[in-house]
Amino acid sequence: MSTANSPKTYRLTVPSIPDRITQVDEFLEANLQKAGIADEIISDIAIAVTEIVNNAIDHGNAGDPEKMVKMNVTISAEEVAIEVTDEGGGFDPGAVADPLAEENLLREVGRGIFIVRHLMDTVSINGVPGKGTTVRAVKKLPPATS
Amino acid sequence: MKLSHREEAGVAILEPRGKIMGGPDATLLHDQLHEFIKEGKLKVIIDLSGVDWMNSTGLGILISGLTTLRNNKGELKLANVTEKIQSLLTITKLVTVFDAHDSIDEAIKSF
Repeated sequence: MSTANSPKTYRLTVPSIPDRITQVDEFLEANLQKAGIADEIISDIAIAVTEIVNNAIDHGNAGDPEKMVKMNVTISAEEVAIEVTDEGGGFDPGAVADPLAEENLLREVGRGIFIVRHLMDTVSINGVPGKGTTVRAVKKLPPATS
Repeated sequence: MKLSHREEAGVAILEPRGKIMGGPDATLLHDQLHEFIKEGKLKVIIDLSGVDWMNSTGLGILISGLTTLRNNKGELKLANVTEKIQSLLTITKLVTVFDAHDSIDEAIKSF
């Protein structure tokens, strides 16, 4: 990939409007493509980031368009690090029901964080009651071949 | 996501294209399925060959389609599931929930 030595950070802030997820994906994928990252890795990151941002809009900010979702995308030669912060009441990942339990298989929601953890290498969730939640997810990149 | 549909051998075939990631996607598919049910079309296939990827919203849409049709005595099948989506169905154990086929023809024959 063509990423220079120093990491570059790209920032986007969107209001909590569900349709804005398209803008988030376009912004993310454009910057990852510009860095020369492989399509296969880009789609993994895009799936994970749209999960995190949908959660921030729908649950964190409860769909309040006055509340913002901030995203930082930092790309280096070694990894892509994503940080998404909402303005909601804090999120307890331990409160999410096991999506693999037989009784939850037909639930339409509740798989987002599970999928993010599967697609990204490290995921941390820092929810502070009354101060919002920041989710940080990192995808390691394969070493450059040239 | 863009959505088109057609009919073959008495089976309604939904053809979503692009990425299924949230926003207006769920409403689009939900409304089309309810339209099918209103018209008495209860055998439905979702052809996933044109879907680049989906997130959990997309999986939720598929589950909603399945349960909506079953509640109306219908059935939903998947066809042409791509590698990326198959991987998501596997890790979420949804492979045990959906009846997936390698082609539209096979899916039609399975009803």
